[in-house]
Amino acid sequence: MTHWTHTLAQFSSVIRNGADFAPGEIICPNYSVARGVEVYRNNYRGNLHDTLAGAYPVMRLLVGEDFFRVLAKCFIEQHPSRSGNLHRYGGEMAAFLTHFERTRHLPYLPDMARLEWAYHHAYFADDLPPFDLSRLASVAPDSYGDLLWKLHPGCTLLTSDYPLSQLWLAHQAGVPDAFDINMNEGGEHVLVHRNEEGVELIHIAPASCHWLLRLQRGLPMGVATEATISDYPDFDLATALRHYLAQGVLVGFDIAGEEG
Amino acid sequence: MNATQGILSAAIGGLLVMGLVGNAAAADMKMEKCYGVAKAGKNDCGSKAAGHACAGQASKNSDANDFVAVPAGTCDKLANGSTEPAGAMMMKK
Amino acid sequence: MCQLPCMAGIGLRASHYQQVLEQRPALGWVEVHSENFFGGGAPLRTLRQVAEQYPVSLHGVGMGLASPDPLDAGHLRELRRLCDAVNPASVSEHLCWNTVGGIAINDLLPFPYTRDALTHVADRIRQVQDALGRRILIENLSYYVAFRSSEMREEEFLTELVARTGCGILFDVNNLFVNAVNLGVDADAFIHGIPAEAVGEYHLAGPSLMDGCLVDTHSAPVFDEAWDLYEKALRHIGKRPTLIEWDVDIPALEVLQGEACKAQQRMDAVGFTNANYSVRGELVEP
Repeated sequence: MTHWTHTLAQFSSVIRNGADFAPGEIICPNYSVARGVEVYRNNYRGNLHDTLAGAYPVMRLLVGEDFFRVLAKCFIEQHPSRSGNLHRYGGEMAAFLTHFERTRHLPYLPDMARLEWAYHHAYFADDLPPFDLSRLASVAPDSYGDLLWKLHPGCTLLTSDYPLSQLWLAHQAGVPDAFDINMNEGGEHVLVHRNEEGVELIHIAPASCHWLLRLQRGLPMGVATEATISDYPDFDLATALRHYLAQGVLVGFDIAGEEG
Repeated sequence: MNATQGILSAAIGGLLVMGLVGNAAAADMKMEKCYGVAKAGKNDCGSKAAGHACAGQASKNSDANDFVAVPAGTCDKLANGSTEPAGAMMMKK
Repeated sequence: MCQLPCMAGIGLRASHYQQVLEQRPALGWVEVHSENFFGGGAPLRTLRQVAEQYPVSLHGVGMGLASPDPLDAGHLRELRRLCDAVNPASVSEHLCWNTVGGIAINDLLPFPYTRDALTHVADRIRQVQDALGRRILIENLSYYVAFRSSEMREEEFLTELVARTGCGILFDVNNLFVNAVNLGVDADAFIHGIPAEAVGEYHLAGPSLMDGCLVDTHSAPVFDEAWDLYEKALRHIGKRPTLIEWDVDIPALEVLQGEACKAQQRMDAVGFTNANYSVRGELVEP
């Protein structure tokens, strides 16, 4: 007899790929096996579709519900779920869209997917305690350059060639009556993160984005700051540091070359 | 001590004296905050089989419709939002 | 650690958070889906506020106790953290699987009730109970296909799980009704087959008839046949905390309260609490 775990592997394939059970393996006295299986196939796609619709509401308005359903179907075929928590599903959407022929004429769509995933990610991110300044007081000034700042794991920095946050904002109350957005009017840098009031999108200056990205990549503060000032001589470190600490974007630090 | 070290010391020294309170946003940061709407949790245990828009999607008919579907939401209203002239996608099939 | 009061409660969903927090309606207790509060931010903050007003039951939909894959340690850690944050009166999971070969099907899937599966599921319930430091309730499933390779009935499987792990049972009356209609499951045998003292909670919901199959949509008022089964359960098993679940086409809160009221009336009419009923060995008075 088939081991029960093999039956489940087969069941998974029946649900996802339209495979069939071996004859006689399944019993449905009052309707066909196909009818019973159909409930699971519908649930599978329905749950993942609804999850994508929840994570990408603006994208859904942009392409329309009917097309979104087609797009979600194609996405689901290529990207199965990997977690029992549906809030983790759908992070590959931006990458998927860069190869999706049918939306290639909407070049801003992958960026919108990145922005919406960043929002979703920040929304469900863990709470962290506020930064404790007294820790900083115990660092020797000689080591300031070696500080490795940690960004809140829920925050994301995005750079787009399009007026992304404007487009996003215009869709927050559903379908807007009218648009006054020109996609050629220039790009922007957006920081997505959550503070006590909720998730916010902040349109930030290029210098701030440059600096934060380098910190996020794990560069020590000295190296990151030097690189930013060399590209943006007006960069104001004191203001940036204070602001991003107060906002909970920077949540802690290690010191390069030290343990732990 | 190089120039950067001086900037770092001034920034952190200032922080330690003044703390994190006060309006830290400078003009160069061009703050424009946008808040989004609350999200409803997507983990539930109601079956989707009844009345869900995806029910029966595996049928041949709906697959044929999928094949010709094109984006038709607010994307059509954006100035310079498409790299193709309007209607081009329809003709391509 | 508090317990659920022996009263009717409702499944609390996002569309009612604000109304419940602002108006504080009379509800015996509320149940939420655990995974919707993993992480932090607004969802967790809301649930904390709710937990200050009502006893809360955490009902998991994603642990996949019967999955062949190893238990998701991260998922379990998140559940543990959520328990620490809101101090729930009850924690429950489903008798189902969701992941094989690293791929998750986000649904509540049935499996063959074999002796091998029993050993596996019992082991995993122990892991969860050890990690949480508490007993959990396991819910019987609604399912649309049955496996010829099953070696026992669902109630026998549940009874063995209780004996091996000390877990409790969340008896979903509507699931039993759905299985009786769809697959000819013997509802009376189920009610008499499970150990009454292990039952810690009832669920009630309304299904939908679709193409000859009664689907557990949680989208309608409780069916008369399910009320009848509930009354049978009350008479044989006894009064227990009872939940009205509604997940699709969620109506006004007052509709849910109306359904809860119907359950409460039936509980009051029976007036019998099995003296042996216990969760963590403590007697609970209604």
